[in-house]
Amino acid sequence: MLRAELAIKQIISRFSDVVSSTASVNGVLWLAVTLAFYAVALKIFRASKGHPLVHPLSITTLAVAAVMWFADISAAQYREFALLLHWLLGPATVALAVPMYNQWQNIRQLGAPLILSVMVGGALAPLLAWGVIYLTNAPMAIQMTMLVKSITSPLAMETGAAIGGIPALAAVFVILTGIVGALAAPLTYRLLNVTMPDAQGVALGAVCHAVGTSKALQMGEVQGALATVGLGLNGILTAVVLPVIL
Amino acid sequence: MHVTSTLTGWLIIVGCYLVGEFLVLVTDLPLPGALIGLLLLLGGLLLRQRPPETVGRGAQPLLSHMSVLFVPAVIGVGLFWAEVRENALGIALALVATTIVALGATAWFAQRLLIKAKRPD
Repeated sequence: MLRAELAIKQIISRFSDVVSSTASVNGVLWLAVTLAFYAVALKIFRASKGHPLVHPLSITTLAVAAVMWFADISAAQYREFALLLHWLLGPATVALAVPMYNQWQNIRQLGAPLILSVMVGGALAPLLAWGVIYLTNAPMAIQMTMLVKSITSPLAMETGAAIGGIPALAAVFVILTGIVGALAAPLTYRLLNVTMPDAQGVALGAVCHAVGTSKALQMGEVQGALATVGLGLNGILTAVVLPVIL
Repeated sequence: MHVTSTLTGWLIIVGCYLVGEFLVLVTDLPLPGALIGLLLLLGGLLLRQRPPETVGRGAQPLLSHMSVLFVPAVIGVGLFWAEVRENALGIALALVATTIVALGATAWFAQRLLIKAKRPD
């Protein structure tokens, strides 16, 4: 009874923080700046036919960081002004249920081998990355953050926080992983003779999440559909498994 | 009509998120609240077995413009810059080399498994 009341109070107070920081002058201003740069970044991304190097996130972030530098605003201040964007990540994660539902037939048809493939990618990618970062004696927080690099950012940030990683760093690791994978996929597949569209898609989705999925969509419809499955399944598996075993 | 159904869909999504957060807070589950929300929505859609038009419309803007939502998070890396620079080599190796190896190995493995699955003989 009391717990439920406390939980509701906590949720309401978080929500009112979001409303009050967004309704302030600085909140409106920085939201407008961010969205304006994002609109430009989208144009550039589309003009380049979706090249992963000019991902809208990197361009928008660099432009916002430049304005922050001129306006002498710290990262902590910006984060407070842009709380609404950060909060919306929650609903955006929930929205991933829609593409998962749309691919449900595919998932059921391919069944266990598909799930097994996703699990291979979902285990291999973080373990290899963790191995490397462990050998270089990086601090624990960075090691934990590495473990979530292959899942979609909203889940990565929350899971990263739950296992003692750094959410902000998780978002960066995730995006860079996606960009590397999307750039390397065509050559890697050719070298290893991976020609099956389903396999190409699953691997991109499972190892390189949303950035990989948009690359897969460019390669073909089957690749795109299977990448969505890989992204969704691995996101859920990793987010469930990591907090439980660590 | 479009606007109302987009809004309704959006409210359903936010509702699932808030219920997920609530459940995590109440039960001390070690999982992200948003993940519980995702599973609730997926479960609901599968139970209904109809094309999720309303929810789909609400989800569309969130899904196609997800990138912009990460800007505050990425800006936040400024707060950890010293740690990143200190471990730059390891981080670069982990992000570039192991991602390519994992991608190739996963695709190769998936191809072997899925080809068998498609020809059940």
